[in-house]
Amino acid sequence: MDIRRRELLALSGMALASATLAPSTTWGQTPKRGGTLSLRTWDPPHFDPFQTISYKTHIALSFTHSRLLRHRAGPGVVPGTFPIEGDLAEAWSQPNDTTYVFKLRRGVRWHNKPPVNGREVTAEDVVFSVNYFMTVKGNANAYMLRSLDKVEAPDRYTVKFTLKEPFVWFLDMLSNPHAVAIVAREVLDKFGDYKKPEAVVGTGPWMLETYRPNVGLTFVRNPNYFVAGLPYIDRIETTVDEDNASRIAAFLSGKYDLGWEFPATINRTDWVQIKDTLKQKRPRLQTLEFPAPVMSHVSMRTDQKPFSDIRVRYAMSLAIDRQAIIDSVFEGVGAMNPPVPAALREWSVPFDKLGEGAKYYAHDPAEAKRLLAAAGYPGGFPASMCFTTYGSTVLVDSMQLVQKDLKAVGIDAKIDQKEYGAYIATCFYGKFDSITYGPQTGFLEPDNFLFGQYYPGELKNQSHINDPVVADMLVRQRRTADLAKRREIIFEIQRYLAKQQYYVQMPSGVYIAVWEGALKNYGPNMGYDYGGRLMAAWLDR
Amino acid sequence: MLRRYVAKRLLIAIPSLLIASLIVFTLPRLIPGDAVQLMLAEKAYAKDVAELRAKLGLDRPLYVQYVEWAGRALRGDLGESLWTRRPVLDEIAQRLPVTLTLASLALAFALLIAIPVGVISAARQDSLADFVARSAAILGLSVPGFWLATLLIVLPAIWWGWRPVGDFVEFSRDPLGYVRQIVLPAAVLGIAASAALMRLTRGMLLEVLRQDYVRTAWAKGLAERGIVLKHGLRNAIIPVVTLLGTQLPQIIGGTVVIETVFGLPGMSRFLFDAINQRDYPVIQGVNLLVVSTVVLINLAVDALYAVLDPRIRY
Repeated sequence: MDIRRRELLALSGMALASATLAPSTTWGQTPKRGGTLSLRTWDPPHFDPFQTISYKTHIALSFTHSRLLRHRAGPGVVPGTFPIEGDLAEAWSQPNDTTYVFKLRRGVRWHNKPPVNGREVTAEDVVFSVNYFMTVKGNANAYMLRSLDKVEAPDRYTVKFTLKEPFVWFLDMLSNPHAVAIVAREVLDKFGDYKKPEAVVGTGPWMLETYRPNVGLTFVRNPNYFVAGLPYIDRIETTVDEDNASRIAAFLSGKYDLGWEFPATINRTDWVQIKDTLKQKRPRLQTLEFPAPVMSHVSMRTDQKPFSDIRVRYAMSLAIDRQAIIDSVFEGVGAMNPPVPAALREWSVPFDKLGEGAKYYAHDPAEAKRLLAAAGYPGGFPASMCFTTYGSTVLVDSMQLVQKDLKAVGIDAKIDQKEYGAYIATCFYGKFDSITYGPQTGFLEPDNFLFGQYYPGELKNQSHINDPVVADMLVRQRRTADLAKRREIIFEIQRYLAKQQYYVQMPSGVYIAVWEGALKNYGPNMGYDYGGRLMAAWLDR
Repeated sequence: MLRRYVAKRLLIAIPSLLIASLIVFTLPRLIPGDAVQLMLAEKAYAKDVAELRAKLGLDRPLYVQYVEWAGRALRGDLGESLWTRRPVLDEIAQRLPVTLTLASLALAFALLIAIPVGVISAARQDSLADFVARSAAILGLSVPGFWLATLLIVLPAIWWGWRPVGDFVEFSRDPLGYVRQIVLPAAVLGIAASAALMRLTRGMLLEVLRQDYVRTAWAKGLAERGIVLKHGLRNAIIPVVTLLGTQLPQIIGGTVVIETVFGLPGMSRFLFDAINQRDYPVIQGVNLLVVSTVVLINLAVDALYAVLDPRIRY
């Protein structure tokens, strides 16, 4: 297979987003108030957004909490793009490179629950939340605002952020559903943290009515939500459903209004099996396909032999048959990834613009062997590949294919399988001796994929890269406010990285977002913000 | 005499429980993986592994941890869940009724199917009914519960768009609905036990029905019903009761899979989650409870012998 075919594949993955069934159009329809939306969820370990990175908690809180900014949602938003709009902030400005000033909406009230009892949200609440986010021990997401120097409340409705250095992704960080949920100090004073369900007091469109451990959560409409008339849906019923057969049955029988896998999708393996039945049982279902931002890669000790030799790294990339992975693991539908996953369509450089480095994404075992021999390894070399399953058969399958492909060119990678916690504590943060294979978090902006993984000394710089050229470009993109110029730098970074092959990127699957046809004004996207995507949706049934 | 026997058995149970508690305490720590690392990876409770380990008391020697845990357990304190930070006893108490209902209903199913079918099968040996019952029993023994459960959930949804499992309803909200939702899982759980019990009932009854006193009963012209049920079944039932004693722990073990598949928030599903999270206090607490229950069940079964067969004296 030549690179042209790969390019086509990558593009086809992207094109799927617009080529499949169109999202439910809402033009000309009057939104209806009321109804109950039902979906599958996960049992949150607890409800403290600052004490967990678990999607289980953050998805639940997306219904109940607001942020300063949020990602715009709806059928008009193309999946993989994340336009920013105000959430609690109605306007903001940037007087200089390191200062951001936000004007809050007036009259926003907390949920009418003790101990806050519906008092007005002020700038002090935002300052408290941001400071707590930054300082509470154990907040694994605190790195997102690492550039922050201080946050102040000049008046009741103004919040001023001062950064230590320019960081153009700052607004993206504030709008990310992982980041600062605005919480009330009284709740912390009363409960000591935000873990208890009683501590779920926010300003979001819905309020947590009941939490039944291992059973489900019920959210009811917040009658005092600050966007007049919203949300339209009265109740959100979520069910903890840990068995796939049960989930399939529930979906077939019409129980769930959204696909049961994250983010409101159906796994392709399940989809292939039930799609014909679904056509009969639920003919109004809507679907939309878009590439997943979760990308696995092979990381390696580029500061040590043999991986310090660029020819070895080229050989490793050329050894991998990415098309076979798509065919075997993703049911034949996948997206090729350059250093920024294809899912981030605004930031991932298309393969036809990847330049000279694009050729290393082809499958060419003969050339790989030649390069290994030229590097002084004519018979290949032994390696150890750190790995954890994440409980995913898809990941195990792809790992086995990678191992087989490497073996075929002489790189005998013995699997060093670790338990999940041990893996995260070691290999995920670059603590390994040879190579590691595993998925990366599906971030919503490119900086996390690039800066975190390529800047010297960063925790997630798994390949131990210390390349001044890329480091300089990474800092430059963080200081380039102009979007077009920043995009060009990020494309340039990817072109450069393709020629270095510090990581061997694997293809991603393509999500199948599925939702009930009666759900109007809904547009699927990546990320944890289920609540945000449903806020302006309504039920026509 | 029975009281003395029970007291003696209870005394013997003490070392059994001590050994069991030691195993229950040690085994979870042999599972690959570390609760602290899992917590740090998923939850980020604290940046410092050593600090968290000390906070949870996991930095002390294993025997010290055991002695402390056993001492507290004797006082009815099973510790605090590492994950939910709530007392293990409270967590168990919240979930135990679901598991008890499931296991009790499964047992009822097993007995309601096994005894009548076993009796009919023995009384009509080599008839079509016997053949069908024996084949069904083999099938019941061979089919894994999780597979049967999956089919029972998925097929009605595919054929009729009907889902046999709804959202979980608490007893306090709707007692009838609470029991109704557990009937199908209990039936699945009871099937394997019923197959084994049915086969044994049939086998033992056939043996008894060949005894001289049964022939005498036939010769005296007694009705078949009386011969089979009164003279035959009562004498054939003791091995069945013994088997029942061993089936009960299996039924309790089976609740782990069934609760997970059917989404029942019982104690066994809690145990399953705890194992995944390496939540040692919960694993220990639940297992200790199960072990104690099994010891008591065996004792109850032994005591039942004397009730069923007046010839047995302790």
